[in-house]
Amino acid sequence: MELLDNLALGLATAATFENLAWCFVGVFLGTFIGVLPGIGPLAAVAMLLPVSFYLPPETALVMLAGVYYGSEYGGSISSILLNIPGTPSASVTCLDGYPMAQQGRAGVALFMTAIASFFGGIFGVGVMVGLSPVLADFALRFGPAEYFSVMVLGLVAASVVSGSGALRGVMMVCLGVLIGTVGIDVNSGETRYTGGIAQLRDGLSLVVVAMGLFGIAEVMTSARGATRSYAGQKVTLRGFLPTAPEWLRSIGPAIRGAGIGSFFGTLPGTGQTVASFVGYALEKRISPRASAFGTGTVEGVVVPETANNAAAQTAFIPTLTLGIPGSATMALMLGALMIHGITPGPRLIPDHPELFWGLVVSFLFGNLFLLILNIPLIGLWVRLLRVPHTLLYPTVVVLICIGVYSIDNSVFDVWVTLVFGLVGYVLRLFRFEPAPLLIGFVLGPAMEEYFRRAMLLSRGDAMVFLDRPGSAALLGVSALLLIASALPIRRWLAAGMRPARRD
Amino acid sequence: MPSGRLIALLGPALMLAVGLGFALGAVTALDLGTVRRMGPGAFPLIVGGLLAALALVALIKEWRAPGEVTHPDPKAVAGVGAGVAVFAFVTPLFGVLPGAALSVLGTSVVTGALGWPARLALAAAVAVGVWGVFVAGLGLPLPALRWP
Repeated sequence: MELLDNLALGLATAATFENLAWCFVGVFLGTFIGVLPGIGPLAAVAMLLPVSFYLPPETALVMLAGVYYGSEYGGSISSILLNIPGTPSASVTCLDGYPMAQQGRAGVALFMTAIASFFGGIFGVGVMVGLSPVLADFALRFGPAEYFSVMVLGLVAASVVSGSGALRGVMMVCLGVLIGTVGIDVNSGETRYTGGIAQLRDGLSLVVVAMGLFGIAEVMTSARGATRSYAGQKVTLRGFLPTAPEWLRSIGPAIRGAGIGSFFGTLPGTGQTVASFVGYALEKRISPRASAFGTGTVEGVVVPETANNAAAQTAFIPTLTLGIPGSATMALMLGALMIHGITPGPRLIPDHPELFWGLVVSFLFGNLFLLILNIPLIGLWVRLLRVPHTLLYPTVVVLICIGVYSIDNSVFDVWVTLVFGLVGYVLRLFRFEPAPLLIGFVLGPAMEEYFRRAMLLSRGDAMVFLDRPGSAALLGVSALLLIASALPIRRWLAAGMRPARRD
Repeated sequence: MPSGRLIALLGPALMLAVGLGFALGAVTALDLGTVRRMGPGAFPLIVGGLLAALALVALIKEWRAPGEVTHPDPKAVAGVGAGVAVFAFVTPLFGVLPGAALSVLGTSVVTGALGWPARLALAAAVAVGVWGVFVAGLGLPLPALRWP
C-alpha cells in the first residue's frame, strides 16, 4: 500500500518531539488569536513568519499551519459567547451559537463546535490525502501558458469572493502585482520602481507587506473600537453534553458541511468564510427543521464549523500542489516555503514527500491537540476574553515591530511596515479589501515570469493562452466566475440567512 | 451631499493615479521590449493600464451611487504610528528591549489608554516578555541592549 508507506513517512516526520512541540505551539497560539476578536489568523501567521526562518522547513510549516487551523477553532468561541466572531469565517456560528449561549446552553454549543471542528478537520485531511497526488500528477503536464492561466483563475476567484466585490477585488490584485514588480527584474537585471532606494533593490519583503497591511492596519482599525471589556458577560458552562436526539440530528449536517467545506477549500481563491456561509444557507434551505435555524439549534453551529474547518484543511491542496494560494493566509504559507527554498507546485510531493506527508500527519495531531485544548481547557479561553484590550494592542504593535526587525535587524523594514499599515488602513476606509492585494503580491512575480515565457515560446502570439485547451479552459472558468459574480447569487444565499438575524 | 460624494470618489481616484503612475513609469523609464521578448516594462505597463481602466469603471460607479466611506480614527492611527516610530528610533540606539518598552508607552500615551502606573507596568512586562521569548527562548540574534 503506497498510501500506508506515505503515511508512515509522514508519521516519522511529524511524530518527532520537536515537530509535535511546535505543532502544539502553533495550534495553541492559533486558538489564542482566534478567540481575540480583531486580530486574525493572517496577522498571527505574519508575526510568526520571522520565527519560522530559524526552523527547518517541515517544522516551520507544521507550526504556521497549526496557527491557521487553530484559529478556526478559537474563532467560534467568541462567536458563541459574545456574538462577536473571532475570525471572519466564524461569523455564521454566531447565528445559532449565541442564542444557545443566551439560553444557558453555551457549554453544549462549545462542545458541539469542538466536535464539529474536529470532524470537519479530519474530513478535510482525508480529502487532501486523496486529491493532492491526483491533482499534482495532472498539473505536471502544465506549460507556462497553463500556469499563467491557473494563476489568473486563482486571482479572479479571490477577487470575486472578497468582501468588497469583484471589481474592487481585481483592482486590489492588480495593485498587489504592481507592488510585486518593485526591485530587480530577474530577466533583465534592471531595477524597477525603487526610486533610487538601495534597500528596495531586492524587492519588498512579504513579511513587511503582510504585517503592514494586516497587522498594523488591523490594530489601527480595532485599537480603540474594542476598548469595551467583556468582563460583564456571564458564561454558564453547566450541561456540556448534547442530548441524544441532538447527536442524531447533527450527523447529516456534519457530513454535508464537511463536503461543502472541502469543495470550497479546494477551489483556489475561495476560503472558509464562503464555505461556512454557503454551508449554512444550503442546510437551512434543505433541512426539515429550517424554522429552528437562528433560534439556537445545534445543526446551526455544526454546519458552519464543519464547513470552515474542512475548508481550512483542503485549502492546502491548491497551495501545495499548484502553488496557487486559496487565501491571503495561504499566500503567506507559500511565501514561507519559498523563503526556505522550496517551490510549491506539482513537484512538491515527489521532491519533498517528507514535507507533504509530515504536514498531513501533523494535521491529525494538531486536530487532536485542539480537541483537548477546546474541551477540557475551555475555561482558559473564556477567561482570556476578559483581558482588557487596552493591554493587548500596545503589545501587538511591539510584536509586529520585533517580527519585522528580526528578519534583517533593519529599521528600514520597520518604517516600510508602517507605510504599508497606513496604506492598508486607507484602503479599508475606501472599502478596498486588502486580502486579494497580498495574493497578487505573492503570485505576481511568478505570473510575470510565466507570461513572458509563454509569449517567448509562442513567438509573441498572445493567442497561445486560448489555443492550448488547458489554458483556455482555465481562462474560461475565470470568465464564468466574473460573469457569475454579477448574478444575484449572493442575494439568494443572503435570503437564506435573513430570517435568522432578527436582532 | 456633494462633499460625501467627492470623498467616496477619492478611493478609485487614488487607484487611477497609482495605475497610471506605474504605467507611465514603465513607458518612460523601462525597456518595453518586443511582444515576443518582453522587456522589464511590459508587464507593469499591462497591469498598470488594467488597474487604471478598472479604476475608471469604479469611479463612474461611485459617481452614480456613492458608497460609504468609513470615518478615520486619527487617535488610533497616531497611537499605533507612534508605537512603531518610537520602536524604529530607539532600537538602533539602545537596543530592542528599551525600544519595546518605550513603544508600549508611545502607543498607550497617544491613544490615551490606561493610567500611568498601568502603562509603566505593561511596558516593563512587555520588555521582560520579549527578552524571555525572543532573546533567551528562541535565541534570535537581536541586540537586546546597546549604547550609542
